[in-house]
Amino acid sequence: MLTKTFQTLAAVAIGAASFAATSASAADGEKFKVYLSLSYSGNAWQSSAANIVKALAATPPYNETVELIEVITGTDPQAQISAYESMIDAGADGIVSFPISSTALNRTIKRGCEEGVLFFMYDATVTESCAYNVSYLSSGFGENSAQALVNELDGQGKIFLSRGVPGNSVDQRHTDGAMHIFNQYPGIEIVAEYYSYWDDRTTQQETAKALTAHPDVDGIWAQAGEYGAIQALLDAGDRLVPMTGENSAGFRRALADPDMQAKGLKGVSAGSPPAQSGYAFKIMMEILTKQRELAPMNIEYPLPWVPADAVSICTGDTYEDGCNVFPESKVPTSFVSEVLNPVLLPEVNVESALNGTPVEGATIQPLPADIQEAGNEPGINCNRCEAPADLYKLTKVEATVQP
Amino acid sequence: MIDSDNAKTVESSFAQSGDGRASARVSRETISTVTVAILCVVMLLGARFISPSLGSWSQVETVLVLGSFLVVLSFGQGLVILTGGLDLSLPALITLGGILATNWIGVYDTGAWYLLPVALLICAGVGLISAIGIVWLKVPPFIMTLAMSIIVSSILLGYTKGTPRGASPDAALALMKGSVFGQPAVISFVILFVIIGWLFQSRSAIGRYLYAVGMNVDAARVAGVPVVLVQTLPYVISAVCAGLVGIMLVGYSNGATLRMGESYLLPSIAAVVIGGSSILGGSGSFLGTVGGAILLTTLGTIISAIGLEFGLRTIIEGTIVLVALLLLREEFFQKLGSLWR
Amino acid sequence: MQTNTTPAISPRGHITDYLWRFTRGAGIIVLTYVAFYVLYGYLQPRALEPYAIAAQMNNTAPLALAAAGQTLVVLSRGFDLSLAGVISICNVVLAVMPLEGPGGALVSVLLCLLIGASVGAVNGWLVGYLRMQSIAATLATMIICQGIALVILKAPGGYVAEWITYEMTDRLWSIIPISGLVVAAVVGAWLLIRRTNFGVSIYAIGADESAASLSGINVRRVRFFTFVCAGMLYGLAGFMLSAQTATGNPTSGTPLLLLSFAAVALGGTSLAGGRGGLFATVMGAATLTLLQKVLFSSGVSSFYTGLFQGLVLIAAVVFSGFVARIGDKK
Repeated sequence: MLTKTFQTLAAVAIGAASFAATSASAADGEKFKVYLSLSYSGNAWQSSAANIVKALAATPPYNETVELIEVITGTDPQAQISAYESMIDAGADGIVSFPISSTALNRTIKRGCEEGVLFFMYDATVTESCAYNVSYLSSGFGENSAQALVNELDGQGKIFLSRGVPGNSVDQRHTDGAMHIFNQYPGIEIVAEYYSYWDDRTTQQETAKALTAHPDVDGIWAQAGEYGAIQALLDAGDRLVPMTGENSAGFRRALADPDMQAKGLKGVSAGSPPAQSGYAFKIMMEILTKQRELAPMNIEYPLPWVPADAVSICTGDTYEDGCNVFPESKVPTSFVSEVLNPVLLPEVNVESALNGTPVEGATIQPLPADIQEAGNEPGINCNRCEAPADLYKLTKVEATVQP
Repeated sequence: MIDSDNAKTVESSFAQSGDGRASARVSRETISTVTVAILCVVMLLGARFISPSLGSWSQVETVLVLGSFLVVLSFGQGLVILTGGLDLSLPALITLGGILATNWIGVYDTGAWYLLPVALLICAGVGLISAIGIVWLKVPPFIMTLAMSIIVSSILLGYTKGTPRGASPDAALALMKGSVFGQPAVISFVILFVIIGWLFQSRSAIGRYLYAVGMNVDAARVAGVPVVLVQTLPYVISAVCAGLVGIMLVGYSNGATLRMGESYLLPSIAAVVIGGSSILGGSGSFLGTVGGAILLTTLGTIISAIGLEFGLRTIIEGTIVLVALLLLREEFFQKLGSLWR
Repeated sequence: MQTNTTPAISPRGHITDYLWRFTRGAGIIVLTYVAFYVLYGYLQPRALEPYAIAAQMNNTAPLALAAAGQTLVVLSRGFDLSLAGVISICNVVLAVMPLEGPGGALVSVLLCLLIGASVGAVNGWLVGYLRMQSIAATLATMIICQGIALVILKAPGGYVAEWITYEMTDRLWSIIPISGLVVAAVVGAWLLIRRTNFGVSIYAIGADESAASLSGINVRRVRFFTFVCAGMLYGLAGFMLSAQTATGNPTSGTPLLLLSFAAVALGGTSLAGGRGGLFATVMGAATLTLLQKVLFSSGVSSFYTGLFQGLVLIAAVVFSGFVARIGDKK
C-alpha cells in the first residue's frame, strides 16, 4: 500500500538532459504523441499489459509514427486525474489507460475530449461517454465461471468465494454475476467469502484462514490470484477441489497436470486478459491514422475460456496450434496467459509480454473489421443507463444441473 | 509523553516498593504477555461458536505459520520504536528480500548457501542508509524510512521491469514447507527466533542501551551509552528482519511479487503497540509484541470465518482491536500489578 | 526524538528576529513551492493559465485540508490515522445522499463536519481521557470507519450533487479558485485560533505535557478538542475530495493518509510535537502535488520516478533542517 500510495509523490531533480530530450521530441510534429497511463505497476498483469503496448509501439511502422510515453500514477484516483491533466496540457493525441476509478476521471476525460484527445480505457472502464472502453467486463466472467463450478459440483457443496479488492467495481460486477447463478442453487452453500486483492500470496493466506474453519470445502470460485488457492489447499492436506480462476500460468499448468488432477483439481481458466491493452492501442492507432472511423463506444473483448481438458502447453514463443500456456522454463507461475491473441495481436510473442520488446521482422497487421459492441453495465461503462434484460445470460457454458 | 511518563510512574512505583527496575519490567512483561495469551485462548475457544472446525490444533498451526511473518517483522519494528523511531520502509524491504532471493535462482545454483546471506546483507545496507539519514543528517525517521521505501520500490520496479522471475531457493522452501518433530519447521524457527529476540532485547547489554536511549537520549549519552551505534542498530536489524520475512514469504508461496510487502506495515506497528510498547519509545517488550502479533493473526483467521459482509466484519475487527487496546493499557496493568502484590 | 523545545510564540522585534521566525515558519517551504512553480511554468507554458492553476488548487485542497488536521494532532504530539476513515465516510455519504443546490451543499458540508467531529470526539475521548496511545486508538477507529464506509457503499459509485462538484471546483470571476479560498479560510481561522488560549495550549502540550499540566492547562480537554478540530478538517477534506471526484469510493481516504504525514513533515512541523504550523503544512501539501506535475513535465522514465520522489523528499527535509539550524545559531 505504502509504496503505491507514494507513487503519487513527485520529484524534480531531473538533469538538463532529460529536459532537452522532451523539447526535441515536442518539436518533431510528425509523430503521434500517445500516453500509456497505468494506475500501478508491479503485478504481472499490469506490467505485461503495459509491455504489450510498448512492444506494439516499437513494431514497424508504429516505431516511426508513434511516440509512446508511459506514466505510472499509483492507486490514487486524484493522482491519475492530475496525470491526465498534464497529458492534455502536453498536447497528447491519445491516451491508453487502465483507469483506477470508473467515475472520478470523467470530468478530466471530458475536457480532454473537447481538446481532441482520444481516450482508450482497457480492462477497467469509465462511465464518461466520450471515452472508448475496451473490456471483457461485459462478457460475463462471473456468471459463466460460477455456472461451470456448479456443473462440476453437481449443484451441491460448500464453496469459498475468493474475491478481488473490497470496494472495487470490477470485483463487484464479477461477484454479482456469480451470485446470480449461485443463488439459484439451494444446494450450493457459500461458507467463506474473502478478499484476495487479485494477488497469489494474499489468496494463499486468506484461503488458508478459511480452510481452518472449513476444511471440508467442496469447491472454490476465485478471481485472479487463483494459484494461491491451490497452494493453500496443498499446504492443508493432499486434497484439491474443483475450482474456477483466472489466467495465471500456474493455474493452467496445474489444470493440465495429471498429479493435480488425481488430487481432485478440475475447473476452468477464464478472466481478465492483459491483451486488451494491445487491442485498445491498435484500434486507437487505426483511428489516428484514419484507417478506421469509429465513434466513442464500449467495445467488448471476448471472454477467454479454457476448461481443464483444453489446456495445452506451448513449445514456441507464441500461441500456435491451439496451445494456450507457456511451460515453467519460460514464464513464472504468476504470468497471465491471456496476454497474447493470435488473431488480434499476431505481432507480439512471449518475450514482448515479459520485456516489452518487439518481435524481429514483425509488422503491424490490420485488425478484423468487425468490432463487438459491449452491453450496458450501469455505473461501470455507462452513466445513468439501463442494463439489458439478459445481463447475466450464459455465453460460454450451459447449466448441466437444474436447481 | 503520556505513556512513557506512565511507564516511568509504573516503574518508579515498583521501584519504591523495593523492586529493581529489571524485575519491574519482567512482571509487566509477564502480565502483558499473559493477558494477550488469555485473550488469544478466549478468542480461539469462542470461535467454536462460529464454526465447529475452529479452535482446533490445526487452526493454532495455521495461526502460528501465518503469524510467523508478523512476529519476525515486528521484532525489528519493535526495536526501532523502542528507540523512539518508526520504520515505514518495511514493505519495500520485504519485497527486496523476496526479489533478491528469487531473482538469482536460475542464474546461479538454487542451493547455493551464500545467496540468502547476501540478500540479507543487501537489506542491512539499505537499513544502514536509513540510519545514516536519521542519525547523522537528522532527517525525521518517518520521512527517511518513507523516502527509502519509495526509492527501493522504484529501483526494484525498474530492475525487474515489473515482472519478477525465478523461483524459491531450497533453503526457504525447507523452512516454510519442511517439518520438524511432525510440525511445520517454521514453528520451531519462530520459537527459536522469539527466544533469541527476547534475550537480545531484555537480557543483553545492547538491549539495556536501547531502552536507555529510548527513554532519554541526552541522559543515555551522559551515562556513556554509545548513542550513535545504538540508534543505528535498530534500523539495520529491522531491515534484516524485513528481508528475512521476504525470504519466508517466497518459501511460503514459491515466488516473489512486487507488492508482497504491502499489507504488513500497519500490522507491524499494531503488533508492537498492542504488545504494550509506547510508540514514543523507551518501553515495551518483545514478548508483548509477539503476543500482539499472534493476537492479530488469530483475530484475522476468526474474522474471515464470520459470514457477514466485509464492511461489518471490518467494523467488528476494529472494535476488537480497540477493546484489546483498552484492556492492555498501562493503567490497567498498574491496577493488576497492585492486586498482584 | 527532538528534545529542543522552542517557545511557541517568539517575541516580535528586530529584523533578525523576523528572519529567524521566517526560517522556522513557512518561509522555506513557500520558497520551495515558488521555485517548483517557476520550473513547472518553464517546462509547461500552460501551467500559468487560470484553468491550470485552479486545477492544481482543486487537486491540492483535499490533501491540504487533511494534512492541516493532521498538523493539529501532531503539534500536540500525537498521530491521527482516523483521517483515512473520516474522509472515506464523508465521501460515500455525499455520493449516496446528493443534496442539490446551495442549501444542499450547506447541509452536506455541515454533515461532513459533524461526521469528522464525532469521530474526532471518540478519538479525543480515547486519547485524552482514557489515555490511550494516539496511534493505537486512531488505528482502531480508522479500521472501524473504513468498515462503516464499506457498509454505506459497497463499491465505487453514486453521484455527488452537481452544485457541489461544479461550484466548489470553479473560479470566482474566472480567476480565483474556490478551493483555494476554502483552504485560505481554514488557514485564516487557524491564525486566529493560534493566538487564543486553546492554540497556545496545543503547542504547550506538544512541547512538554507535564509542564503544560503544571502551568494549569487542562490537558485532557485540550487534547479532546484538538482531535475534534482535526476531525472537522478531515470532514472538510472529504467534502472537497467529493467535489473533485464527483463520485463515491469507500476507500477514497486511504491514499491521503501517509501523504498527510509527508506534507506535515515537509512543512517543517516536528513529528515529536510542539513545533511547526498549519500554513507550512498546507504549503507542504501543495508542494507534494506540484512535484507530481513537475516530474511529469520533465519526462523522467516512470519506472524510476519513485527514486527521484524519495531523493527530493529527503533533500527537502535535510535542507530545511540545515537552514533551521543556521537560524538556531543566530
